[in-house]
Amino acid sequence: MINWGKVWSDFFIFLALTSNVGFIFSHDPYQLVIAIGVNLLATVLKFGAKKILAAELLATALVADLHLIPATILYFMETHVPLAIGLAIGAAVANIISIVMLVIEIIFEYRKEEEI
Amino acid sequence: MKNSLTNSKKKKHYGNVKPKSYRAIYEEKFYDILFRLRYPLMTVIFFTTLGVLMLMIINNKSDGKSVLNFFFHTVITFSTVGYTEGYDTSPQHLMVNRFFTTLFIIVTIPLVYIYGLVTTVSIFMNSKIDEIYRYWRMYKAMEKLKNHYIICRFNGITKELMRNLKKRGIKFVLIEPDGSLEDEIKNFGVDFYVIDEPHKRSVLLGVGIESAKGIVSAFEENTQDLSVIVTARLIRPDKDEFMIFATATTEGAAEKMKLLGANEVIIPDISVGRRMTSFILHPPSPVLSGFLEKIAYGERTDIDIMEIRIDERSDLVGKKLKDIHMRQETGATVVAIVRKDGKMKIAPSGDTQIVEGDSLIVLGHPKALKRAEEFFKAHIKENEEVMQK
Repeated sequence: MINWGKVWSDFFIFLALTSNVGFIFSHDPYQLVIAIGVNLLATVLKFGAKKILAAELLATALVADLHLIPATILYFMETHVPLAIGLAIGAAVANIISIVMLVIEIIFEYRKEEEI
Repeated sequence: MKNSLTNSKKKKHYGNVKPKSYRAIYEEKFYDILFRLRYPLMTVIFFTTLGVLMLMIINNKSDGKSVLNFFFHTVITFSTVGYTEGYDTSPQHLMVNRFFTTLFIIVTIPLVYIYGLVTTVSIFMNSKIDEIYRYWRMYKAMEKLKNHYIICRFNGITKELMRNLKKRGIKFVLIEPDGSLEDEIKNFGVDFYVIDEPHKRSVLLGVGIESAKGIVSAFEENTQDLSVIVTARLIRPDKDEFMIFATATTEGAAEKMKLLGANEVIIPDISVGRRMTSFILHPPSPVLSGFLEKIAYGERTDIDIMEIRIDERSDLVGKKLKDIHMRQETGATVVAIVRKDGKMKIAPSGDTQIVEGDSLIVLGHPKALKRAEEFFKAHIKENEEVMQK
C-alpha cells in the first residue's frame, strides 16, 4: 500500500529541489517565486514530524529558506544578482542534503518494519 | 577506567526501565502546536505564491517593483485590508486584474483568512504556550539537580518539611499523585514538582533518584509508603548513600518499613505525644522549652547539632580533647562523646581522650559545624594517601 501522506510530503521536498535548480539555470523571476513558495511549503510540512531525523530535516529546510529569502530580495532589487544566484545554489545544496537524509530515514523505517 | 566504573554503577539498578523524561513531554507538546499549524500555514504560503505568480503572468511584469506591489496586493486582499490596488491600473490590464482579484477573494477569504490566519491565531491563543514553556524550563532545571531530596505527597507534614528545607537552601522535588492539588502546590511555591505516581520506577528515575540524597514518603496510607520505600530501595540499595524517611500510622507498619529499607520511620501520633510529654516534664520557659528538640528538629537556623564519627585512620585517636584545638579553629563545641559500646559522656572535660570508634556530638552555628566536619576529615591522613595512589 502506498502511504499517501508520505507521497504528499515527499512531493514538496523533491519539488523544492527541482524548482530551486530550475531557477539556478534559468535565472527567471517566475521560477524564483515558485521556488521560494515551494521551499516555504516544504519547511512548514516538516513542522512537528516525529521521525528519527525530524530535527535535521527541519534544519536543512530552514537553511534553504534563509538562503532563498535574501536571494529573492537581492534578485528583485536588481543588486548583486550573481550573489542571489549563489545563494540559490546554496539553498539547492541544503535541499540535496535534505533528500539524502530522507533516503536514510526511509532505510531506517524499512529496517524497523523488518524487525517487527 | 573511571568511566567504565561509573557506567557499571549506573546500570546497577534492577530491571530495564527508562526514566520518564518530563522535559520531553513538554517539548512534544510544543511540537504538537507546530504540527497543528502545518496546514493553516501551508494555505497562507500557497495562496500568496499563487497570487503573486498569477498577477505577474496577467500583467506580464517581473521587475522587482512590480513583484513587490503584487505581493502587497495579494496580502492585503486575503487579509481583507484592501488599501489600494497594487497592480497595473491602465485600461488594458484593469479588467483582467479585477476579474482575477474577485475570484481570488472568493477563494481566499474562507481558505486563507478564516482557515489560515484565524486558525493560526486561535491555536496560539488556546495552546497556553507560556505554560508549556514554564513547565519545560522547570523540568530542564530539574534534570540538573544533584544531592536533592525527593518528597512524596503534598500534605501538612511535607509542607512544613519543604518550608524548612527552603529556609536552608536544600533543593527538593515533590511528587504528588493527585492532580487536583496542582494549583495549591503552585501557590505554595514549590520549585520542582511532578504530578505522578511515586511508586513507579520510571517516575523515580525521572526525578533523578540516582543523583538524589534521599527520599521522604509521607502518605496517609501505609501501603503507599511501603511501595515507595521498596521501589526506591531497589534502585538505590545503599542505606548510607541514600536515605529513606517515611511516616507510618502504627508501630507494626513502621517496623516493616524499616526492614524493607527505610532509614527512619516516624509515627506522627507518637512523636506529637512525646513532644507534649516533654512540655509537661520541662515547664515552659521562653528559652529552655524544648531547646534541644528545637535544635534536633531543625527549627532554629542559627544553631545546629551534628554527630561526627572518628575514623580509625584519623590521627586524632589517642589525643586529649583540649589538645586538638577544635573549638579555637572551628568555633564548634563538643557537648558529648558516644563511646563504641554506646555509653555517652555528657559535657566531656578537656582531658577526655578520643578513642577509636568514638562519635562526637558537636553543637554550634551551622557554618562552624561545616568547618568542624572539614577539620575532622583533614585529619584522616591515610585515606588521602590511598586516594592518591
